[in-house]
Amino acid sequence: MDSKAFNPFRMAQEQFDKVADILNLDQGTRELLRNPMREYHFSIPVRMDDGTTKVFKGFRVQHNDARGPAKGGIRFHPHETIDTVKALSTWMTWKCSVVDIPLGGSKGGVICDPHNLSLREQEQICRGWVRQIAYNIGPLRDIPAPDVMTNGQHMLWMLDEYETIHGKKFPGFITGKPVGMGGSLGRTEATGYGVVFTIREALRELAINPAETTASVQGFGNVAQYAIELYTQMGGKVICVACWDQKEQKAFSFKKETGVNLEELRSATDRFGGIDLVKAQKLGYEILDGEAWISQEVDILIPAAMENQIRKDNVNSINTKVKIIAEGANGPTTPEADVVIQKNGIFMIPDFLANAGGVTCSYFEQVQCNMNYYWEKDEVLSKLDIKMTSAFLDVSRLAQTKNIYMRDAAYIIAINRVAQACKDRGWV
Amino acid sequence: MNNAGNQRKYSRDHRNSIFNYLGKGELGGKAAGLMQIQKILENENLHSDINEITVSIPGMTVILTEVFDQFMKQNDLYPIALSSSDDVFIAHSFQKASLPPAIVGDLRDLITKAENPLAVRSSSLLEDSSSEPFAGVYATKMLPNNQPDIETRFHKLTEAIKFIYSSLFFSESRDYFRSIGRKVEEEKMAVIIQDVVGNHYGEDFYPLISGVGRTYNYYPVQDSKREDGVINLALGLGKTIVDGGSAWIYSPLSPQSPPPCNSNKSMLDNSQREFWSIKMEVIKEFNPISEMEFMRKQSIEKAEDDGVLSLLCSTYDYQNDRFISGIQEKGARLLDFSPILKYKKIALNDILKKLLHICREQYQADVEIEFALEKITAETSGESVYHLGFLQVRTMQTLADNGNLSQLEYLPSALLAESSSVLGNGRRDDIYDVVFVKPDTFSAINSRTIAREIAEINRELTTEHRPYLLIGFGRWGSSDPWLGIPVTWSMISGAKAIIEATLPQMKPDLSQGSHFFHNLIAFGIFYLSIQEDKKKTIDWNWLNEQKIIRETDHVCLVRCSRNMEVIVDCVANRGVIVK
Repeated sequence: MDSKAFNPFRMAQEQFDKVADILNLDQGTRELLRNPMREYHFSIPVRMDDGTTKVFKGFRVQHNDARGPAKGGIRFHPHETIDTVKALSTWMTWKCSVVDIPLGGSKGGVICDPHNLSLREQEQICRGWVRQIAYNIGPLRDIPAPDVMTNGQHMLWMLDEYETIHGKKFPGFITGKPVGMGGSLGRTEATGYGVVFTIREALRELAINPAETTASVQGFGNVAQYAIELYTQMGGKVICVACWDQKEQKAFSFKKETGVNLEELRSATDRFGGIDLVKAQKLGYEILDGEAWISQEVDILIPAAMENQIRKDNVNSINTKVKIIAEGANGPTTPEADVVIQKNGIFMIPDFLANAGGVTCSYFEQVQCNMNYYWEKDEVLSKLDIKMTSAFLDVSRLAQTKNIYMRDAAYIIAINRVAQACKDRGWV
Repeated sequence: MNNAGNQRKYSRDHRNSIFNYLGKGELGGKAAGLMQIQKILENENLHSDINEITVSIPGMTVILTEVFDQFMKQNDLYPIALSSSDDVFIAHSFQKASLPPAIVGDLRDLITKAENPLAVRSSSLLEDSSSEPFAGVYATKMLPNNQPDIETRFHKLTEAIKFIYSSLFFSESRDYFRSIGRKVEEEKMAVIIQDVVGNHYGEDFYPLISGVGRTYNYYPVQDSKREDGVINLALGLGKTIVDGGSAWIYSPLSPQSPPPCNSNKSMLDNSQREFWSIKMEVIKEFNPISEMEFMRKQSIEKAEDDGVLSLLCSTYDYQNDRFISGIQEKGARLLDFSPILKYKKIALNDILKKLLHICREQYQADVEIEFALEKITAETSGESVYHLGFLQVRTMQTLADNGNLSQLEYLPSALLAESSSVLGNGRRDDIYDVVFVKPDTFSAINSRTIAREIAEINRELTTEHRPYLLIGFGRWGSSDPWLGIPVTWSMISGAKAIIEATLPQMKPDLSQGSHFFHNLIAFGIFYLSIQEDKKKTIDWNWLNEQKIIRETDHVCLVRCSRNMEVIVDCVANRGVIVK
């Protein structure tokens, strides 16, 4: 795996260029959409617990807001780069567009490692981040959300700082808040469930009964767990789950031919959220190499861990029985591997469609916050299902009609909608 | 799904068939019965000589039983459901829970496309089995489904589904399970979402006629035989019949014969005066845990204003003390369905006879069916045709062994009671306890209180597994407290023999509450009716000498020192209780 050479923003631009050619976009629109509209770089000084002052580097990138206020998470990561944030903000634009919610795309981040920071220090970073950008974000401009190593508590600190600065209550300023503090029911499950809603529709199109399918999942985080839960409820059988082991600093795959039991595996997690090797073995799971998940003889692969996981070097180990790949993670498949998958006729549900359940539910959260009226879980999840299904059908119909790859069809729909919004506004 | 058949998985992007299902698992008794009948209806040529009525099962979607399992598990509801919490608490706990994510999108799609009012009904695994009938134990909810926004309609649908689920754990259901020695945890619930058969009339929606037909008549009158069967008809929703209210009862072999009545005035007094409809107006009070949230009872004058009585009524001609078919004349209306039954304006009886015959043949047993009739006006010609919605079928348990009382003679002093109008057949000698309504202080004004007091004693005796004899006045199970004690089956579920007696101040015709008597017969419970003006009577003095175990204002529980013997002979129509 050549991860050092991997530049996510270059990958995002390549994907865009390919579709721009198909759509025959004019030069102005191309220039506008292949780069973010706004990039904010700032310093966040924080008085540390030991009395010293440390300055953290923060970003906010607003790729495009032609279709509505920008929307995107905030990542706390020691290896955060502006290229990653730019790529992710671009993908957010496409993601919001493909599921047809009235939002643009953005992303933010701070170069820091929360593992080495006290809660007070993390709070100072959150408040400092908001202070730096408080007049360039907001419920009608750009709505942040939790992302890598940020959570509901971070969102509440940010919300509090924002409301203090502006002197009013703005519950719709940020999403991913805890339920009861402006959060939406169903948000936790939304991404994983959304992945399965699209799998269900893909299976229907392929005329396959979900109850007669098997799956292999990479990851055991929030997305993977809820995807496993709903897929199992539909009658499917997950036979392999791959997960990072913090202690061993490598990934392992956990296999059970009779089907993994989610409750059982949840009870066997260690304090980092990974699956405990000893406990899993006791429960009858076969422990395999971390890459083994990809070569399982299953109908469905669900990469739901991180980017750059299905690559040129391992794509050929995908079993010939695999019919569907549903990308729960962002960017798990490299363009080179994508070519092989397309050639092999595997039904691809691209990341920004498959995992759009999260942002869709965030949008619902914002809607609820702006009304200050909150829906029941049935309401949220039924709306989510309808929205995801509708988005999937739009994409698959285009793919069928034009006889093109699902990822290309999804990009065509998403980019076309954004390009059209830019034109309608008179920007290009 | 184990029930193979002509149903298919709910689909959002094409027109659905009559039967659709959501989730996995079983259909439950009610839905399985309907599916079986649908197959028969498709093969039978019911309409060859009856053009003006079409027959079909109203479109329905069944939420299969595994969805119930997922719902209970994901919301961790069993600890509350199996606790001794009251019904309201249980219902609210279920309302707060979420339905499984795998079905909510389909439900939203379903409600988006549904145009008519919907009935949300239970279809449990044990329900409608002939050996242990659960009919009427669980809730049904009618939804007008006419709110302008999909959000509200979806919300009302999910509320109704959760309410039906919760009704499995209501005290009535739990008492019932206790009475049959089973555990409520064994039960699994499927839910039917079905189009309601009926028409819009202003701010109401109701069928022209709803009814119940049985191939075996527990109360044959005049020249009819038990095997001739019986049909109950009512205006509006079937709740009138289910609750044991006033309905028109006739034999399908002699539809023109009215039920026996002392006088025309008495017939009028005992005929249907009110009917149930679905409220289609804007609801001002919300109560998701009430079965009646969207239903109301109205007088038949409202139906006359709606223009629906012309086929259903006769008019009382007071000058000549007779009834004239139709409503051309002014006068009191009698809902006797005479234009249909006497003058065959619609060949409803012919269709019902056929359906009963078909179902009897199919099940190789006596059956009970439920149906409703709606009017359809052809858009082009403006002509009216009718659609009979087939709503339910279940087998009846009819009488088996003969008690053979015809040859036995008893000294009157040996008997606690004797009756010449009985239901049931056989004998039992395990009863020591008698629960009776005190005759000296009885007044119909207290009948609701009496029902509650009996339910309390019933619960105790059921818990102790003590079978008992129940004695009361008027129609057991009547929804009208002035005509009898308004108990539901679960309130008297431990009674193994029941006496329905009359007093001078309470002497209505005996009841034939549809589900109530189905339960009596299915459990082999003996039923004896004793009219005060007959020679047969009850030995109240002997009862008052027995040891009082519990006494309330209106009800008394006594325990005899030795067991009584109850003998009932269906053929001889005679029953005795030997002290």
